[in-house]
Amino acid sequence: MLFLVNRLLSVFLTLLLISIITFAVTNILPGDVAMMIMGTQSNPEALAGLRESLGLNDPLFVQYARWIGGLLTGDWGTSLVFKEPIGPLIADKVVASALIVVMSMAIALSAAIPLGVWAAIHRDRWQDNAASASALVGVSLPDFFWGIMLILLFASVLGWLPSSGFVHPAEDFFGALRHAFLPSLALGLGLMAHLTRMTRATMVSILQQDFIRVARAKGLPERSVIWGYGLRNAIGPVVTVAGLQVGYLFGSIIVIESLFNFTGMGWLTYQALLNRDIPLIQSTVFVIAAVVMLTNLIVDLIYMVIDPRLRAT
Amino acid sequence: MRRFLSTKGVIGGGIVVTMLLIALLAPVFVAEEMATRMDIRARLSGPTWTHPFGTDQLGRDLFFRVVLGAQTSVMIAGAAVLMSIVIGLPLGIISGYYGGTLDNVLMRLVDTLLSFPALLLALTISAVLGPNITNTIIAIGVAFTPYLARIIRGEALRVAQMPYVEGARAAGTTDFWIILRHILPNIMPAIIVQGTISLAFAILAEAGLSFLGLGTQPPNASWGLMIQASRDYLDVAPWTALVPGVAVAITVLGLNMFGDTLRDVLDPRTRA
Repeated sequence: MLFLVNRLLSVFLTLLLISIITFAVTNILPGDVAMMIMGTQSNPEALAGLRESLGLNDPLFVQYARWIGGLLTGDWGTSLVFKEPIGPLIADKVVASALIVVMSMAIALSAAIPLGVWAAIHRDRWQDNAASASALVGVSLPDFFWGIMLILLFASVLGWLPSSGFVHPAEDFFGALRHAFLPSLALGLGLMAHLTRMTRATMVSILQQDFIRVARAKGLPERSVIWGYGLRNAIGPVVTVAGLQVGYLFGSIIVIESLFNFTGMGWLTYQALLNRDIPLIQSTVFVIAAVVMLTNLIVDLIYMVIDPRLRAT
Repeated sequence: MRRFLSTKGVIGGGIVVTMLLIALLAPVFVAEEMATRMDIRARLSGPTWTHPFGTDQLGRDLFFRVVLGAQTSVMIAGAAVLMSIVIGLPLGIISGYYGGTLDNVLMRLVDTLLSFPALLLALTISAVLGPNITNTIIAIGVAFTPYLARIIRGEALRVAQMPYVEGARAAGTTDFWIILRHILPNIMPAIIVQGTISLAFAILAEAGLSFLGLGTQPPNASWGLMIQASRDYLDVAPWTALVPGVAVAITVLGLNMFGDTLRDVLDPRTRA
């Protein structure tokens, strides 16, 4: 119980720090919001007036307090580019990103686990070398390069799948999946390569342990030694690493969503960054960091449920 | 030394050395003009004798552009990783060696920074400062610092508990001297391994930033920019994307292989 209270306190503290860092980073730039609204050629008096009315002349900590107060009460300000309230704008984009993050994770895990186990069973033979080499190539290619190649193959040459746009799953479920497939695959391939390496390494070290030798010695079929004894012990670390990769995915969605014109959080963040839409940058960056932090926390908690040894500490 | 001579080590090391040579020698052999000269009659031409890698939409030679792109990539990635080591090293050592409240505060800050995806942090810093080569270096360098600080702290903590450090302390050696003579040499292998792997990530990050228009700016040659420019001509000239894409892949692959080998050689704990 005390553990949970501690953990919640720490979550609260981290969120506070995330908001401070976000606010600080977006306030180091030379221009300001007023300049961005009116342009650099604007009348200095009008500019000064707008600055005063936006509260940009207040000390930074007052501005920060006003921003954080707004975040807490649901008033997230107005985007300079979209001229819309930021809260609903973000809420609208979250679904798209959630869809491709979940899909890419599913693609990556369902391919990486069998491939990693297969490589580990055939350790140092050609099967392992082939799997390890392709995984190494996989982690070395930038995901937008995967994206471009997928567009070229599946959209331009074969014409099987759409290369851009987002369809809301509530409107057209299969259309949504079709549009989300290529961006998810582009995100998932790099992740898959990474998780294959992780699965292989974990399985190799587990297969050397005594309980595996015991299982084999008592005549269990090899299949149940591998899947029942080996993988069951390897799955924890692999899923943990997969969970921690959510942070990496949230970085990559900025590139991939922009490439596929897939209007999710990554796309929105990119529009904000490109147009230096400070209020929107602050909110999107804060939301992404908060989501990553909370996902890591959930992974930790799940791991604790899976592995009772960790509960004591 | 023998361990360096694995297939992986030789290929990885070979690629890394070749890329470094290309990057260092590019300005000597390839004049800026060769990469920017436009051959209007040979726009989007495929590989030929005059243009071995083909040309882009403006008729510029892709071979010269990709060579100059190597210079940009290696320079930015190298400087960014160096920057993250220069900031991360003192933070990590102080945190790991002294421990206590200072360690708690610093690591809480580092953990929080790790909640920001590195690419997001780099993009934000670059967008806020205004994209150019210097700011790209700063953006990637700052975004990578928490990772390095975390790893260096862990290593410093491990070494600080060694009997020889305790012995030195009992003999009345000052902290500064212990850090210089005992901690630093013993965490060096980990820094070298992590630095090499970070270089691979930094090359990918630079390509990503430039691809999004928030890194290296035209007319500078950059692999990310080249891939960005190729998007509109994919159907007719796929090599405009393949050439820079393969360049990124080979460089990062080489660094990863070399990093893996370094880890096998320098870090006895991971030897299987």
